[in-house]
Amino acid sequence: MQHVHAPGTVIIGLGNPLRGDDGVGVRVAQVLAGQVLPGDVEVVDGGTQGLGIVNLMEGRQRVIVVDAANVGRTPGEFVLFRLDEIGLLGDDHSISIHSAGLRDALLLARALQILPDEVLIVGVQPAHMEWDHSLSPEVEAAVPQIADTILREIGGNNAWRMRKS
Amino acid sequence: MSAVNVNVNVHHLTRVEGHGNIVVDVKNGELVKCEWQVVEAPRFFEAFLRGRPYYEASHITSRICGICSVGHATASLRATENALGVEVSEQTELLRKLLFHGEMIDSHVLHVYMLVAPDFFGAGSVLPLAATHPEVVMRALRIKKLSGDLCAMVAGRHTHPIAMTVGGFTHLPTEGQLLAMRERLVAAREDMDETIALLKALPWPQFERETEYVSLQKDDEYAYIDGWIATSDGFTYELADYRKVTNEHLVPHSTAKWARHNRETYMVGALARFNNNYDQLHPRAKAAAEELGMKPLVTNSFLNSAAQAIEMVHCVEDAIGIIDELVERGIEEEPLYQFQGKGGEGVGSCDVPRGILFHNYIIDDEGLIQGANCVIPTNQNHANIQADMQALLPQILDQPQDKIRHTMEMLVRAYDPCISCSTHLLDVEFV
Repeated sequence: MQHVHAPGTVIIGLGNPLRGDDGVGVRVAQVLAGQVLPGDVEVVDGGTQGLGIVNLMEGRQRVIVVDAANVGRTPGEFVLFRLDEIGLLGDDHSISIHSAGLRDALLLARALQILPDEVLIVGVQPAHMEWDHSLSPEVEAAVPQIADTILREIGGNNAWRMRKS
Repeated sequence: MSAVNVNVNVHHLTRVEGHGNIVVDVKNGELVKCEWQVVEAPRFFEAFLRGRPYYEASHITSRICGICSVGHATASLRATENALGVEVSEQTELLRKLLFHGEMIDSHVLHVYMLVAPDFFGAGSVLPLAATHPEVVMRALRIKKLSGDLCAMVAGRHTHPIAMTVGGFTHLPTEGQLLAMRERLVAAREDMDETIALLKALPWPQFERETEYVSLQKDDEYAYIDGWIATSDGFTYELADYRKVTNEHLVPHSTAKWARHNRETYMVGALARFNNNYDQLHPRAKAAAEELGMKPLVTNSFLNSAAQAIEMVHCVEDAIGIIDELVERGIEEEPLYQFQGKGGEGVGSCDVPRGILFHNYIIDDEGLIQGANCVIPTNQNHANIQADMQALLPQILDQPQDKIRHTMEMLVRAYDPCISCSTHLLDVEFV
């Protein structure tokens, strides 16, 4: 089946903006969407789509996912790692459609052989994920740095300017 | 029954929405227990609505469910509009039907491909299925994306239809968007054909148990929104008399209420609609039914999933027709409803993916909701699920216990139960 050509890189911000720092991925995506980006980069607010992001990865060379994650750091700190550095669970892992998350989406994409060659995950340590429509001060303060790190990752030799939001 | 002992205890059945247990206990060939237990904690949506202004009802009740949020919102709006005497324009009716079709396709494709299909392929979930049958799973994701985008185009976002309100829409699609969507729907015909072909080849369990089939009905189209209540036993009712059909009552082993009408149980959902309103299906859907060897009266509950696939075909075609009509009429901004200072009582009904749904509101002269009652399709199916289980069990007692368990699970899954909806659960599970 013929598919529409998709830009080479997709940056997906995941999370629920109503659950405190769980919304950091969505916030970073919003910040990046306001930037001037290379023509082959697309930014998507992935929200809490779960398996819906599998469609987004098809036909891409690279996917960068931003999400709150327990990476063993202090709140606001973040880690950029490549998928092959961490590995995924084996094939007999059963996924729940109702609460499918990032790992399930990656597993499904891999099983369908549409996982991009390069998968980067930006895991941001949350302070809390209680009902709150704001980010915690620590994570809020980290947003520009997270966005900047991603921009440097995708950028070439151009100097990117951060717009103050 | 032969002298056999069977003990099946499925705690929190997988691949259904919500929580339910299957308990089967047979001792020396004697059936001790065969129960479908619904164990969700009760929800309080009906109570939430009390004291809220009428225009919040659809937004609050759309949160009853993430997969049938449009169904709840639409029934809610119809209840409010009937209570307040609001007439909606033809454009609004067309847009609501289009949105409803989007959700129908979305819900059905999820059920057929991700909840039911794995059972037929010996897979525990869609994940191993993706490894062995990637083209099948890709097709499901493709159809799901199309239907999700259709909903977002009309409703303003993918889930919880923010653009739908009392009397109309606060946001309208453009002609360009409609035409682009039309192209995608036409292209999806291939995926619909492949879906029917897939289901045709599956080894559907042989099981017959006639029951009463209850759905909406209209004289001019396959009924999803409004109409009257019709049953396969020949009864019809105005929507305001829905209680004469549902007769909700409590049973000890379930936190969801049960329903009964002419028989001890009745069935709602795609199969009920198919049985009652077959003549009004789009010709392509009838052709799909013929491919699957299905013509009313179909009394094998497992084929509810097949009826869903037939409806997917119907919804794609009807959506194309609705878009053509909308484009020909031209989309226009319309004034929204203003409260007239007079309340009332109203019933709204839609036949959502899982069956006939009723919302009943009492609104006072300040525009505040004073009472609400929601009767959920899955509620109405619980009794029939158990009756089916009790009828099926003796027929499969000679099989290995694991196969009995699996067949019982498949039977329940065939109903596509939305258990959280049926107990109106507010899920506060922290991840």
